[in-house]
Amino acid sequence: MTTLIPDFPARPVPGPMPAWAFPTGVAGRIPGGPATLRCDLPGRRLAAVRLVLDAGAGRESTGQDGVAALTARVLLEGTEPGGGTKLAAAFERLGASLHAYTDLAALRVLLDAPVTRLEKALELLGEVLRGPALDDADTRRLVRERLEEIAQEDAAPASRAIRELRAQLFPAGSRPAKHTDGSKESVERLTGEQVRAYYSAIDPSEGTAVITGDLTGVDAEGALAAALEGWRATAAPLPPPDTALPTPGPRLVIVDRPGSVQSYLCVGHGVPGRDHADWPALTVACHVLGGGLTSRLNALLREEKGYTYGMRAGLVRLRHCGIFVAQGAVHTEVTADALTDMLGALRSVLEGVGEGECRAAVSALADSAPSDYETARAVASELADAASAGLGADYPRRYLEDLRAVTADGVTRAYGEHIDQDALTVVIVGDAGKIRGPLEDRGHAPTVVEG
Amino acid sequence: MAEQPLHEHTLANGLRVVVCEDHVVPLAAVNIWYRVGSRHEQNGVDGKSRTGLAHLFEHLMFQGSANVAEGEHAALLESAGATFNASTSFERTNYYETVPVSHLELALWLEADRMGTLPAALTQENLDNQRDVVKNERRQRYDNQPYGTAFERLCRLTFPPGHPYAHTPIGSMEDLDATTIEDCVEFFRTWYAPGNAVLSIVGDVDAQEAIAMVERYFGNIPPGPAAPPPRPGDLEPLTGIRLEEVDEEVPSAAYFAMMTLPSDGGPEIEAAEMAAEILGGGSGSRLYDRMVRRDQIATEVWTGVTRLVDGPSLAIVEAIGPDPARISDVLDEELARFAEEGPTEDEAARAAAQAERGLLERIETVAGLADALSANATQFNDPARTFTAAERAAAVTAEQIKDAAARWLAPGARTALSYGGSK
Repeated sequence: MTTLIPDFPARPVPGPMPAWAFPTGVAGRIPGGPATLRCDLPGRRLAAVRLVLDAGAGRESTGQDGVAALTARVLLEGTEPGGGTKLAAAFERLGASLHAYTDLAALRVLLDAPVTRLEKALELLGEVLRGPALDDADTRRLVRERLEEIAQEDAAPASRAIRELRAQLFPAGSRPAKHTDGSKESVERLTGEQVRAYYSAIDPSEGTAVITGDLTGVDAEGALAAALEGWRATAAPLPPPDTALPTPGPRLVIVDRPGSVQSYLCVGHGVPGRDHADWPALTVACHVLGGGLTSRLNALLREEKGYTYGMRAGLVRLRHCGIFVAQGAVHTEVTADALTDMLGALRSVLEGVGEGECRAAVSALADSAPSDYETARAVASELADAASAGLGADYPRRYLEDLRAVTADGVTRAYGEHIDQDALTVVIVGDAGKIRGPLEDRGHAPTVVEG
Repeated sequence: MAEQPLHEHTLANGLRVVVCEDHVVPLAAVNIWYRVGSRHEQNGVDGKSRTGLAHLFEHLMFQGSANVAEGEHAALLESAGATFNASTSFERTNYYETVPVSHLELALWLEADRMGTLPAALTQENLDNQRDVVKNERRQRYDNQPYGTAFERLCRLTFPPGHPYAHTPIGSMEDLDATTIEDCVEFFRTWYAPGNAVLSIVGDVDAQEAIAMVERYFGNIPPGPAAPPPRPGDLEPLTGIRLEEVDEEVPSAAYFAMMTLPSDGGPEIEAAEMAAEILGGGSGSRLYDRMVRRDQIATEVWTGVTRLVDGPSLAIVEAIGPDPARISDVLDEELARFAEEGPTEDEAARAAAQAERGLLERIETVAGLADALSANATQFNDPARTFTAAERAAAVTAEQIKDAAARWLAPGARTALSYGGSK
């Protein structure tokens, strides 16, 4: 019934990969203020500014979980108490946008603007950073919004799973064990005064501002300096970050979600941070396991068994360490079988990674870089993230070189050395009433926590 | 905005090609739009229902073809550092990959082989497997997410049974279960002819060389039959508020609404989309200011627009708040005020600036530009229309936005869902 295409040519053999290198920047510093990094990207008419401040949730005082995240949000309310939509409107008028959020390592401010209006957008940004209102009424409203968001996050299986994974992996009570943006209990107690105190303790000179785009004819450094000069910390420094490390399992926890038609499987283990020489090899191991459709997890659980829409494995980048996470959602009825297959795939890496498999994974990670970093936003975010982790502006370039040098044996060794298959932490978000029995039948002893 | 030169060519078998050179990064984006989506599926009118078939078929396009073994498509592209995927919406299915420019010919060869010979590799085993994958996609993205079926429910409320837009691309579990190999082969033969597709290439290429490559790999694919004319997609204006109270476990009460807008490509769509943007597009918008900041009856509100060509475009309003009935009333108040007063000059200017920003974002990557070229070639026979999006928005007057708001975003004319809350 089906014919081949007449005279269809043989499969073309691609030539060598074209040369490409991660863009480099020009470093500077605003007197008394943040370090700067300017990176010219020809043709990129949408410029990006990424400011990272050493004021992540890891530096919050005890009992104030979520104050960093709340500060980032209240900051976006602008310079006038109850200013309403004024600030958002001002950025919109420029075709620009301003966002801010925190993770454990940093408070991050993100400005995107057409290069033609970049200087005006930076001027606005400077006004906000130098004199934010951080008003009580705005804070109270944003606390309510955050509480609502927590409820939404906990109802979504993937975000609930990651929250539980961190709670299980890190020592109880440590900052990394708790949600970066705070819990219901901690957030509802936060006040405008605490937000103002947190903001005034941020030291801009510990931060870095990265600016990227087609900056031809734009005095980027001058505009940055004009915006940020004179901005100073006015209170004692924030406490040093909580650098508690992940603890070994084994653990298996079910987060009960009655009526769930799928179970979200999440398997984690602590690994060293990005400054460790094995990080690139561990990244390749993750890609071999759950990087694409042909990865071991997807070949088995998706393409062979049809248990899932897709699995993935990767490394979470914290400043002081990393977390290996393999995850995906499977049909409730096959939960126990899927977990067995998943753990089997994770263990299979110990038996070795093929040379071809390793080369394919390295290429998938390294040769996709020109596409991954096509926009000014992507380049700026990566450079800013490297700065916030203390890795330096040449880190993205070095990382890609190190990645290309990874060998199959190196992957197998690093994976075996850092990820103990007998000490994994497994979190399953699903219907405990349906999945507990089958898991116990296979020798697991799950603990059940409330959703 | 400066328009980048486009090179166009149509093969003898009907395949339309658009090429745009972009030499900033050594990449090539390949993007194919097939003019088939969920609106072309059977959905019960003639006694047969195969909702979800266009999307399920999209999955089968990755399972091999005459010269490509199962799993090989992904393996070849992944190991070249390519990013690739596909998506199915109401009116079209697109397939795309961004590859190092050294791999452009390989990408074209892969696309040509599946366009020409997909049924050669179609097996019951592959169909059963991908059916399971798609059913898990449905569970993951819709059934197991709070409010996950809201869009599907709103389409069912907005369009009468059997209307081409009454069901969404994911389809129903029953129809997915009922789909046979024969359905898939027939679907391919009906819709996957070269004449029903547009292929765009953007990147570090020589346009004439790229067109020659397309001729080499796609030129001998037989033309196939002309696609059947689509069923009409028009809809009478909505009247009254058709409300469904959804009995589902959700973290918070919420109110979702759908309103119809003019079709894309007509004289009114730009003004109508700008009206929707002014109404609920972000934290500077009217609804956000009223509901979240001032009245504090919602913790979140958002408006979005889905442009459609062969049916009405759709505006969605989503609001999270404890009292959906109150949200509905305040929405009506704001709609009435907007229809009467129209936008301020500043609101109109901001909406135009956002449209310009949207265009910059859409065309700044080779993949984004290729998709936009395929879209405009497929839907408007004019790929260069991509570049006029910002000026089309800038030409809209405050008066036109006011008229569009009054006509399309009138109070008391929508479908709606209410989740929980006081009744």
